[in-house]
Amino acid sequence: MAFVIVTAIIVIGTVLWNFVSPWWFSPLASNWGFLDTTILISLSITGIAFVLVSTFILYCVVKFPYREGHKSEYEPENPALELKLTIITALGVIALLAPGLYAWKLYISLPADALEVEGVGQQWVWSYRFPGEDGVYGNTSGRLFSSKNTFGLDPDDPYGQDDILIRGGEVHLPINQKVVFQLRSKDVLHDFYVPQFRAKMDLVPGQQSNLWFEPTILGTYEVACAEYCGTGHYAMRGVVVVDTQEAFNGWLAKQPTFAETMNEGANGEQIVQTLGCVACHSVDGSDGIGPTWGGTYGTNRSLSSGETVVVDEDYIKTSIVNPMSQIAEGYAPVMPAYATLSDEELTAIADYIKTLSE
Amino acid sequence: MTNYAASEKAFLGLSHAQVFVYVLMTVISILFLFITNAYLFRMNFQDWAPVPIPTLLWFNTVCLLLASVGMVWAKSGAKTEDHQKTKVGLTLAGVFAVVFVSGQTWAWQELHVSGYFLSSNPANTFFYLITALHALHVLGGLVAWFVVTFKVFKEDAAILQPESVGLLGVYWHYMLLVWGVLFAMLITT
Amino acid sequence: MDQNSATYEGQKMYDPKGWWDTYVFSQDHKIIALQYVCVALAIGLTGMFLSLLMRLQLGFPGLFESIDAGSYYQDVTMHGMIMVIYLLTALFLGGFGNYLIPLMLGCRDMAFPFVNMLSFWMYFLSVIILVASFFVESGPTGAGWTLYPPQSILEGTPGGDGAGIILMLASLAVFIVAFTMGGLNYITTVLQSRAKGMTLMRMPLIIWCIFLATFLGLLAFPALLVGAIMLIFDRVLETSFFMPEIFKGGEVLDYGGGSPVLFQHLFWFFGHPEVYIIALPAFGIISELISVHARKNIFGYNMMVWALIAIAGIAFIVWAHHMYVAGMNPYLGFFFATTTLIIAVPTAIKVYNWALTLWNANIKMTVPMLYCLAFLVTFLNGGLTGLFLGNVAVDVPLSDTYFVIGHFHMVMAVSPVLALFGGLYHWYPSVTGRMLDDRLGKIHFWITFIGTYLIYFPMHYIGFLGVPRRYYSNEQYDFIPQSVADLNQFITICTLIVGAAQFIMLYNLIKSLYKGAIAPKNPWDACTLEWQTLESPPGHGNWGEQLPVVYRWPYEYGLPSATADFVPQNVSDEQIT
Repeated sequence: MAFVIVTAIIVIGTVLWNFVSPWWFSPLASNWGFLDTTILISLSITGIAFVLVSTFILYCVVKFPYREGHKSEYEPENPALELKLTIITALGVIALLAPGLYAWKLYISLPADALEVEGVGQQWVWSYRFPGEDGVYGNTSGRLFSSKNTFGLDPDDPYGQDDILIRGGEVHLPINQKVVFQLRSKDVLHDFYVPQFRAKMDLVPGQQSNLWFEPTILGTYEVACAEYCGTGHYAMRGVVVVDTQEAFNGWLAKQPTFAETMNEGANGEQIVQTLGCVACHSVDGSDGIGPTWGGTYGTNRSLSSGETVVVDEDYIKTSIVNPMSQIAEGYAPVMPAYATLSDEELTAIADYIKTLSE
Repeated sequence: MTNYAASEKAFLGLSHAQVFVYVLMTVISILFLFITNAYLFRMNFQDWAPVPIPTLLWFNTVCLLLASVGMVWAKSGAKTEDHQKTKVGLTLAGVFAVVFVSGQTWAWQELHVSGYFLSSNPANTFFYLITALHALHVLGGLVAWFVVTFKVFKEDAAILQPESVGLLGVYWHYMLLVWGVLFAMLITT
Repeated sequence: MDQNSATYEGQKMYDPKGWWDTYVFSQDHKIIALQYVCVALAIGLTGMFLSLLMRLQLGFPGLFESIDAGSYYQDVTMHGMIMVIYLLTALFLGGFGNYLIPLMLGCRDMAFPFVNMLSFWMYFLSVIILVASFFVESGPTGAGWTLYPPQSILEGTPGGDGAGIILMLASLAVFIVAFTMGGLNYITTVLQSRAKGMTLMRMPLIIWCIFLATFLGLLAFPALLVGAIMLIFDRVLETSFFMPEIFKGGEVLDYGGGSPVLFQHLFWFFGHPEVYIIALPAFGIISELISVHARKNIFGYNMMVWALIAIAGIAFIVWAHHMYVAGMNPYLGFFFATTTLIIAVPTAIKVYNWALTLWNANIKMTVPMLYCLAFLVTFLNGGLTGLFLGNVAVDVPLSDTYFVIGHFHMVMAVSPVLALFGGLYHWYPSVTGRMLDDRLGKIHFWITFIGTYLIYFPMHYIGFLGVPRRYYSNEQYDFIPQSVADLNQFITICTLIVGAAQFIMLYNLIKSLYKGAIAPKNPWDACTLEWQTLESPPGHGNWGEQLPVVYRWPYEYGLPSATADFVPQNVSDEQIT
């Protein structure tokens, strides 16, 4: 009997929970409300099945307890009943499948009149590219990436020169405008996911994947990487700001084109943004996967080897080029070596870190 | 100790060893099916540069064929209890299988010397991987061959031999068939 | 036929001489089964311990300094891999399969006892290699149990640049060899060595389940083997099967042109049948237990068998439902969503038939029965949430969130483990000749059942919210409210309690070995052959002089023409009183 009571509480609780749960869909901010509808359809149909079957089981347990000397009914088959149940189940499955397939059709039909944005993932930072005035993306290649050419754009392609590059993880989008995201990755798998937009798609290195949605509510939203991408996966946070069309135009006009970025001098802040250093090293003194940079320049640091060193330009440069040679105490030895940065770039990074302690 | 029979209903009249070997061959087929699938998938990518197939492979193929012929001979010897024929057949089958495997390693050597390194192109990698996997399975067969041949030459447990020799032959023909398919795929793509 | 009996006589030549032969390098299926169970439980406890570490971080972020992001991901990875492959697959097929196949089919041993022994030792070796990866520099791989390239073999992922990933892949390859040896044995034994009268359609459902799960494994594991070999090549020899152009650490790596999605296809071609490799034996255990303890024939045996065969067949064409948002050709989504939802129909039939078995039954609320009924509830729950994730568009907002964690733990962790415990309580008397302690069993049951439900049920709802899985900490995200952190704390406390409760079972298993009540020969009054042996527990060779002869199906409970409420399979119509 205890089993029946406890299980009945579990079953009733499972159903009631859907009406009182403090956790529910994040407030919708895109056109994908239909995906929520399909979830609700699924919840209703499966909920009914769950209640019916578990009630039947509990009823049997109450109704047919063991009685000494009693024999159960001998009934190996009942083809008619089995057929009925099969048909009912099949109908339920069709009721689930039809809206699902319909929604998928919408989800993968990319609209023609959309704003195009390219989303680029790398460990552990997001960046974006707009095709620029000519409306055409320049060619890219995985072989052309460098710490300067962070999008791997072909420098000789005339279409690429006016491409607008968004580095630093924050992208703006205009409200009520369909957006097609073309997604690619520089290194490993990632997944572009904004919970309020519902849509989600993996970024796969070596190929392009697509995603579209239409932001419907002004505001600032977080991008959370939804495909495991290494130690900093949980820290791969980005920001999408949904603006009015005018505000968006104003913001876009201020962003640099590819041609402009190629003529920049070495800028420490820019480099650490584009290399994704900030996913692990905070600039405000808070702890992360790696030690923070905020307020540490010139201080002493204990290493896992037991030594103590001063955080100076030399230490910083060595730590970038050969991180395993001096692991800070209390941190895991997980940082990749950035051996190909030029001395000019290393100095720029060290200078930037220095400014964080002033 | 009567009624010791395993079952009155042995499946399709097969022996234990036959079921074992047939299911094993199914599993191996699946393995090669996946690798060929991956090959056909991967070859559509831009960086694919086909490997020139060494002429030596034709020679190796003939060797494998001769090994199978040896097995046919051994099997017919085992059926007619012509021990001499069985021994000769088994020896031929084994020797030609060994020649085949050595020939394959020689072919790798040739490719390597002429600059087709394992990791320089996916076509090269697949070539080495596919041929190596096949050669490994031939080597596995040679272990069984060694056990059976050893018994045949000692002429013990004679009752068992026709079946063992027969099954070994089946595996040999199967390896030839797999090689035929793989080789055809390698030279046509 | 002569040949067969000769082979069998030849096999009977094996007689253990001394302690090593009897207990260590034994070829007796019962000892091998025990060896499998012990090793699997030991490594399973390790897997559980890793999950506790993981929960400690999630419940109390930052409190335990030794759990950094790297080791957290290592715990996650090894927990998943150990539980799926080295615990559940090994325990269900290696343990239950080895023990039950010869006993339930009425034969003396597996068809190839020596290969069977090799299978166990290969499995043992794979576990040793797996455990070794904990002790290499930079530790075991932290790539997630799916081992997706490129990250699994690159630095930036724990163990990716060390030996961790290599050992993991090597261990899997050895495991696959072990499984193939065991699997060939099970298939041959089931097809060849059934007792007289034991037709295929008279086999107990658990044998059908193990048989089909073995087939699934034999056909699915090669995909993983191919994937593992190619991944080792990519990692060690720098080939580019799966590796495209990659810009990492400020430089373009030597790789180029490969396809990460290809690995995902290979992995899930194995990975989805793997779900059924675990689920089918659990189905089998439930089918046996529910019939025995409800004192009623299983409802719709034929339908059950055909449903199993349908599930096993369709299981091979649903794999890409794990990849809806993985960047594959989106049109494949239509196909895989349809096949995935179709597989729900035979699965539902199984649940109906278990439920209908209870109708007009005579239900004994024994400990195994409690586990059975709890399985029905959790499996129903987990199976139904699978309809969300299999249904392509519905999967989009939910994939890679805690909804997925809740779903697959409910369906392939909690449910199979409940079945597993039910099976342990049910067959323990057959193995040891003693009963397990009922009171301890009930305490263990209640904590496990309620605890696991409280752990996994709320996860679905933070999945609705969009909390992504595999996050070391959620602190940076504004869309995740404080209440999620509170919930995580609650779940962690539940996990600790459930984890501790498993030691009750362990204690029960060991204590009852010496102090348990002596079990009667057929303590549950079951019809199947494993309870009809001459000695109890069954000795070497299982059946004494005479092999049993089977006259009926295995669920003859409540037969109107008999006085007793059950008729064992080896009782002929004339012998019925």
